[in-house]
Amino acid sequence: MGATYDARVSGPERDGTAIQGRSLWQIAWERLKRDKVALGGGIAVVTLMLVAIFAPVIVAVLGHPPLEFHYDKVDPDLQVPRGHFGGISPDFLFGAEPVNGRDVFSRVVYGSRISLLIAFLATLLSVLLGTVLGVITGYFGGWVDTLISRTMDVFLAFPLLLFAIALAGVVPDRAFGLTGDALRIALLVFIIGFFNWPYIGRIIRGQALSLREREFIDAARSLGAGSPRILFAEMLPNLAAPILVYSTLLIPTNILFEAALSFLGVGVRPPTPTWGGMLSDATHWFQIAPNFMLFPGLAIFLTVLAFNLFGDGLRDALDPRSR
Amino acid sequence: MGVYILRRMIAAVLLLLIVTAATFVVFFLVPRLAGATPDDLASRYVGRTASPQVIHQIAINLGFTDPMWVQYGRFVKGLVLGAEYSTGPTTVHCPAPCLGYSFLTQNPVLPDLLDRLPVTMSLAAGGALIWLLAGVLTGVVSALRRGSVFDRAAMGVALAGVSLPIFFTGLLALSVFSYWLGITAPGGSYTPINDNPLRWAYDLLLPWITLAFLYAAAYARLTRAGMLDTMGEDFIRTARAKGLPEHTVVLKHGLRAALTPILTIFGLDLGLLLGGAILTESTYSLPGIGKYSVDAVVNNDLPKVLGVVLVGSIFIIVANLVVDLLYAVVDPRVRH
Amino acid sequence: MRTNRRAAALAALTVFMLAGCGGPGPAGANSGTSGGIHNPSDARGGTLRYANSGDWDSLDPADTYYAYSWNFARLYGRSLVMFKPAPGALGATLVPDLAESLGHPSEDAKTWTYTLRPGVKFEDGTPVTSRDVKYAVERSLDKATFPNGPTYFNDVLDLQGYTSPYADPDSDKLGLKAIETPDDRTIVFHLRKAFSGFDYLAQTPATMPVPRAKDTGSKYRAHVFSTGPYLFQTNELGKRFTMVRNPQWDPATDPHRRPLPDRITVDLNVNADDIDDRLLSGDLDVSVEGSGIGPSAQGRVLGYQGRRANTDSASVARLWFTALNADVAPLDNIHCRKAVLYAADRAGYQRAYGGPTGGEIATNMLPPVIPGAQRFDLYPSPKHMGDIAMAKTELAQCGAPNGFTTGISYRAERPKEKATAEALQQSLARAGIKLEIKPYPLADYLRLYAGKPDFAKANNLGLIVYGWGADWPDGYGFLSQLVDSRVIRSTGGNTNLGVRDPAADQMLDQALVTTDPVARQQIWVSIDRRVMEDAFALPGVWAKGLLYRPPNLTNVFISDGFQMYDYLALGTERR
Repeated sequence: MGATYDARVSGPERDGTAIQGRSLWQIAWERLKRDKVALGGGIAVVTLMLVAIFAPVIVAVLGHPPLEFHYDKVDPDLQVPRGHFGGISPDFLFGAEPVNGRDVFSRVVYGSRISLLIAFLATLLSVLLGTVLGVITGYFGGWVDTLISRTMDVFLAFPLLLFAIALAGVVPDRAFGLTGDALRIALLVFIIGFFNWPYIGRIIRGQALSLREREFIDAARSLGAGSPRILFAEMLPNLAAPILVYSTLLIPTNILFEAALSFLGVGVRPPTPTWGGMLSDATHWFQIAPNFMLFPGLAIFLTVLAFNLFGDGLRDALDPRSR
Repeated sequence: MGVYILRRMIAAVLLLLIVTAATFVVFFLVPRLAGATPDDLASRYVGRTASPQVIHQIAINLGFTDPMWVQYGRFVKGLVLGAEYSTGPTTVHCPAPCLGYSFLTQNPVLPDLLDRLPVTMSLAAGGALIWLLAGVLTGVVSALRRGSVFDRAAMGVALAGVSLPIFFTGLLALSVFSYWLGITAPGGSYTPINDNPLRWAYDLLLPWITLAFLYAAAYARLTRAGMLDTMGEDFIRTARAKGLPEHTVVLKHGLRAALTPILTIFGLDLGLLLGGAILTESTYSLPGIGKYSVDAVVNNDLPKVLGVVLVGSIFIIVANLVVDLLYAVVDPRVRH
Repeated sequence: MRTNRRAAALAALTVFMLAGCGGPGPAGANSGTSGGIHNPSDARGGTLRYANSGDWDSLDPADTYYAYSWNFARLYGRSLVMFKPAPGALGATLVPDLAESLGHPSEDAKTWTYTLRPGVKFEDGTPVTSRDVKYAVERSLDKATFPNGPTYFNDVLDLQGYTSPYADPDSDKLGLKAIETPDDRTIVFHLRKAFSGFDYLAQTPATMPVPRAKDTGSKYRAHVFSTGPYLFQTNELGKRFTMVRNPQWDPATDPHRRPLPDRITVDLNVNADDIDDRLLSGDLDVSVEGSGIGPSAQGRVLGYQGRRANTDSASVARLWFTALNADVAPLDNIHCRKAVLYAADRAGYQRAYGGPTGGEIATNMLPPVIPGAQRFDLYPSPKHMGDIAMAKTELAQCGAPNGFTTGISYRAERPKEKATAEALQQSLARAGIKLEIKPYPLADYLRLYAGKPDFAKANNLGLIVYGWGADWPDGYGFLSQLVDSRVIRSTGGNTNLGVRDPAADQMLDQALVTTDPVARQQIWVSIDRRVMEDAFALPGVWAKGLLYRPPNLTNVFISDGFQMYDYLALGTERR
C-alpha cells in the first residue's frame, strides 16, 4: 500500500519516466526466485536433461558401454555380481547386473534418455491436443462442447494401461519410415500422449469457459474480431500460464506411465535400457542384488520428484491468489 | 430429479456401449494387424493335433469368419440373452449376461471375473479407507498448521509419495518387511475374508499400505490446497464473526466445502481401482482382476479382455454417476 | 520353466515298438540322481503343501501332458501300470498298478491283455471294472473335448472310425471294438500294428478309470473321481485345490503306495519367485512343476553350506537351444548358419541358464541322459566361447563377409530366454552378425509367431530361442518333433522350427524298422550328427534342475521316470 502511494507521489508524474508495470511473468519469476525448494527442483530438472543429452559423454568417462557384457564381474556359479552390494566399485559406480555383468550406472544414465524423451514428446502431444480441443470446447460451447466433453468422458472411462499394453504389443517392424527403437518410441509417445489429452483438455476447457465471459473478449468481438483471431490472439496468451503449469505437472505422470509400461514388458525392446525395464528384471534378483532394483528406482523417484517440485513452484508462482 | 437420474443412466448405458464397441474394435484389429487369420485364432481353441479342416470348421462355428460388426452384435446379444458355444460334440451354455467364453482356459469369463473380484475389492476398499483417512487428516492438519514443522514434513513426505512408482515402493516394502524382517506376508498371499478375517487382513497389510501411501500423498496435497482455499473464503470469516467455536468453523464449514472436489476425485479413483489395480496386483502377485487383465491382453484373449474392460468401465461409470447424483442432491443448480 | 513334453504320437509309438519289453535303458549316465532316499520315514500325518507357478493343463487324466501332472496324477488315479516309486534306475521301471501284472502280449504283439486287481473301488464305493478303463481310454480319444493330452492311443489302436464316446451310438457308450472287456476284470487291446512297448501307453493317465455315470465331459476336471489314495476335497479352478485321504482306497490292493500325509494342498498361479521364497522360508513344501528353483533362490541356496546340502541336481532329458531358421535369408545358406554356430559364445548361453547348475554346455542335440547318446563338438572353440576367425571364414563363404542382420525371437515371460537372446546378440556381434531382439507371448509362441512359418519368415526370425524335452528318455521321442521336416505345418504350432533335411527324415524312418536297440541308438546319434552338420540348430545347454527340499520333507528321492521328486512317496514332519 505504502509503496504504491509513494510511487504516485514520487513516481513518473514527478520524474517524467514511464511506469514499469510488472507483467504476470515477471511477478512469477520474482516469486520463483524466492522459492528455494522449487528452484532446487528446477536445477535438478535442468541437470537431468543435461545428463540425458550428454549421456554418451558421461558414460564414456565414468562407465562402460551400456550393452557390454562383463562376465568377469559375475560369479559363474551364482550369477550374482561379485563384491559388496552388487559389485559397486570405482569402475562400476552402481555395480553390475546379474548374469551378464552390464554396468548399471551406464544403463541408468542411458535410461534417462528414453524416459525423458518419451515423457516430453508425449506431454507435447497431449498439450497440443488438449489445448486445441479444450479451447474450442470452452469457447464455442453448445453442441461442440457436448460432443467433445462426452468424448473426453469416454477416454477417461478407458482402462488406459490395458490399451497401451495391447497396442504396444502389435507394432510391425517397419512403419512410417521408422524401425527398431525409433518406431517403438514413436508408438509409446503416441499412445501416452493420445490417451492423456483429456487431462489437459478438461482444465483448459474450464479456463476457457471462464475466460470467454470476460470483458476483453467482448471488447475484441465488438471490435469485429472473428473467432479464430479471438482464439489465438486473445485467449491463448491468457491460457499460457495454466498450460505451462499443467504441462510441467503432466511430465512426471508420463514418466511414471512409461516406467509402468516398461515394467510390464511392453516398452522399448531389450537390450535398450529403460528404468522400468530394469526394475522388471530386478524383481527376480532384489534379494541378493539390491543395487539392481535400487538405482533405477531411485532414478525414477528423483526425476519425478524434481519435476513435481518445480511444477508446484511454478504453479504457486503463477497463481495470483497464492500467498 | 427423477428425470435427471433417468437421463444420466441412459447416458451411462450409452457410454458403456461406446467403450465396449471401441474396445472390441481395437482388440479385434490388434491380432489381425499382426497378421493373424480367423483360422489362426480358432487354432488357439483346439489342441495341436487338429487338422486344418477341423480348425477351419471351428473358426466358422465360433463366428470368427464373420465381419466385425456381426461379431460385436453377437457379443451384445450374449450380454443380454446368453450364448452357446460349440467346438464339435460338446456345446456349452453361457447364461446371460455372457461376457464371453475363453477356450484358452475352458471357462466362461464372467465366473472367472467374479471369482477374482473380491481380491481387487478387498485391496481397493482397504486401501481406500486408509488413504482417505490418512490423506484427508494430514491435509487438514497441514492446512491448519500451515508453515509449521509438521506441515513441511508432511508435505515433503507427500511429495515423495506421489513421486514414487508403486512397483518400486512395493518391491522395496516386500524386500524390507517381508523378506528381511519377516513381519508381513510374502508376495502372492491372499486369504478370502470368509476363511479367516485376521489372516485376510494380515496378507493384505503390505499391499494396502503401499497403495494407500501413494494415494494418501496425493490426497493430503489436495486437501491441504482445498482447505487453504476454503479457509480464505468470506463465509468462513462470517462464521467466525458469528462467534462459532473454531472446531465447528473448521470441520463443519471449512472441511465440508473443501471436501466436495476431494470426494469427486475419490469416486473416480475408487472406480478406476476396482477396474483392476494392475500394478499393485502384479507387484504382490495378488490373484485379482488386474493380473487377469494383463494376462488377457498380453495373450490377446479377446473374450477376457472384453469382459475385463466391461466390468472396469462399469465401475468407473457408476462411480461417475454416483458422484454426479450426489452433486445433484447437494447442489440444485446442477439439475437443469 | 515347466517341464514341457510334447512329442508326436507316431514318434513315441515307434519307440515302444522297438524298445522291447521293459523300460528305457537304466539311467546310467544320469548324473545327479540322488542315490538313496533322503530323510526316510514311515510316519503318517500332516499336510503336504504344493504350489504351481501356473496351472495344470487339466486335472482330468485324459487331458494332460505335463511330466509333473503325470507324476502327481498317481495320487488320485490308478492306471494299468505305472513307474515304480523308487529311487535311481528302479524309478524308470514299470510295475503293475490297477492291473495285476504287466501286460500280456499276443505272439504278434498286436493284442495286449491286462487283468485288473480285485477290490479296487472309486471314491464313492463303486467297484472299478474293466469297462471303466475302456471308457476312460475312449474319452481320451476325443481330441475336440480334450485337446491337451497325448494322441498315442489314437494312433495305436485299431479304431475303425471310432471318434468319441460322446458321439457313440452304443447305449453304454462302449462301442470301440478295439478294446474288449470279456469280463469285469479283463481288458484286451487290439492294435493296428505290432507294438512291443504298449506298457508305456498303459502307464499314461488315460487308462485311469472314469465312471461313465459321473462323466461330465469338459467339466469332469472340476471333480475327478479318485481311485487312488487321495480324493479331491475342494477344487477352486485356477486358484487352489485340496485333497484328503480316500477312505475307499484299500492298501491291500496296492503294494506300491505308502501315502503318508493326511492332507494335500496345491496353490495355483503363484509367482515363481514367491514359490522359491516360500520353499526357503518353510512356508511351502514342494514346487510341483519340478523344474527347480530360480536364479535368485539359487544364489541364496548355493552360497550357504547348510542349505546346499538340501539340494538335488536332476539331469533332465531336455535341451535348451536356438533354432536357425533356414526359411529366412541369409540363413538359407549353410555357411551363414555355420558362422552363427562358430561365433556363438556357449559359455554365455550356459550363464543365461544359471551357470553349471542350470545345465551342461551342449555341443550337440541329444541330452546325455538318453541311452546311447554321445557327446561331440563339430564347432569347437576355446573354452566354448566362440571362434570368431572361423566364423568370419564361413561368412566370407556365404557371401556376407561383413556379417548380416536378422531377428531373434524368444518367449517374453521367460527371463532365461531373454538373457539368452541378449547374450547371443553380444557374442554374434563380434563377427558382425547383428540381432534384433523380438519377444512374443508364451501362450501363442508356437501357434501364431515363431512356430508359424509364414510369420517367422515375414518377421525375419532367423534365430528362434526354444527348448525341448522328451516324453520319455529316448532318442526317437526326443528327435522326431524337432528334425522331421514332414511334420512341419503351415498352420502353425510347429516344434520343428526350420530343420528340413530329407536325409534326416530317411534315417528316422529307418530307425522305425530297426529292432536291435544298439543299432537303433546308433541311428539316433547319426541323425544328431547330421543335423549338426547341417547347422540347423545351435544347442545351448542340457538342462539340469536344481531342486530344493525343505528339511521337513520326508522320503525324498528323484524319480528317474519323471526326473523330479517322486510325489507318491513324499511325507512331511510338520503337524
